[in-house]
Amino acid sequence: MIRKRSKVSTQFSLSSMSDINFLLLIFFLVSTMFAVEKGLPMALPGQQSRSVRLRRENVMTIQAFANGSVVIRETGPVLIRDIRAIVESRLILNPNLVVVIETHPDAEYGIMINILDELRLANADRISLRTMRAG
Amino acid sequence: MKLGKKQQVQNTIPTGSMADIIFLLLIFFMVTTIFKMEEGLPISLPRAVSGTELDREKLMNIWADRLNRISINDKLVRTENIQAIVSSRFEENRSLIVAFNVDRRTKYSLVSQIMDQLKEANAVNVTFVSVGEEE
Repeated sequence: MIRKRSKVSTQFSLSSMSDINFLLLIFFLVSTMFAVEKGLPMALPGQQSRSVRLRRENVMTIQAFANGSVVIRETGPVLIRDIRAIVESRLILNPNLVVVIETHPDAEYGIMINILDELRLANADRISLRTMRAG
Repeated sequence: MKLGKKQQVQNTIPTGSMADIIFLLLIFFMVTTIFKMEEGLPISLPRAVSGTELDREKLMNIWADRLNRISINDKLVRTENIQAIVSSRFEENRSLIVAFNVDRRTKYSLVSQIMDQLKEANAVNVTFVSVGEEE
């Protein structure tokens, strides 16, 4: 028997192609994560608002310097991730505490946001933003 | 006379090409859909955990990048002009919230100048846009 016809099919089935496509589609739908943008709301003092005098013991000043160091003026240098615990304990002692974030003009904005984030996590709702005098 | 002859007309709709039609429609709508998007500036937002959801309808976006460029409505603006632009936008809608889309490496002095302009315009509700930790 010479030249016997090959019985093996030379085509593969295409009918499950759409199933595979849908599986891929669903996989990427589920695994795609968009960077979720969220906001840290803040109310600035307006034109009409008057400056208020605060008692010294009600104020806690956190300073952010141009070289990236963060200092609590009353105590000393601090790590950003420790601020939450410090502020929480200060708030228990004094619920009227006002936290002032004093940022150097050359300091990075991200550091100020990191500090603000920590304060929000510590549930400090009296926050004031201030710019350090250059020099 | 041939009575009761079986009908030979097929009574099923071929559904094999349904997936192709769906894909064609999908691609058609993908190509023809235009999203109205504000481009802004390419920035890397600061990270924060405590962010809250943003209400896109109420937001007025201000973008600022590391090179101290400021963009509103996809137009580069000078710091001094922010007050006028924001004021005119506030004429239309009093409940606007100004969203700061600022690169995390930007110097704080620029943010401070923008905030001063907003205070002049009496736009006191701001939010600092950030990205969550997970990505």
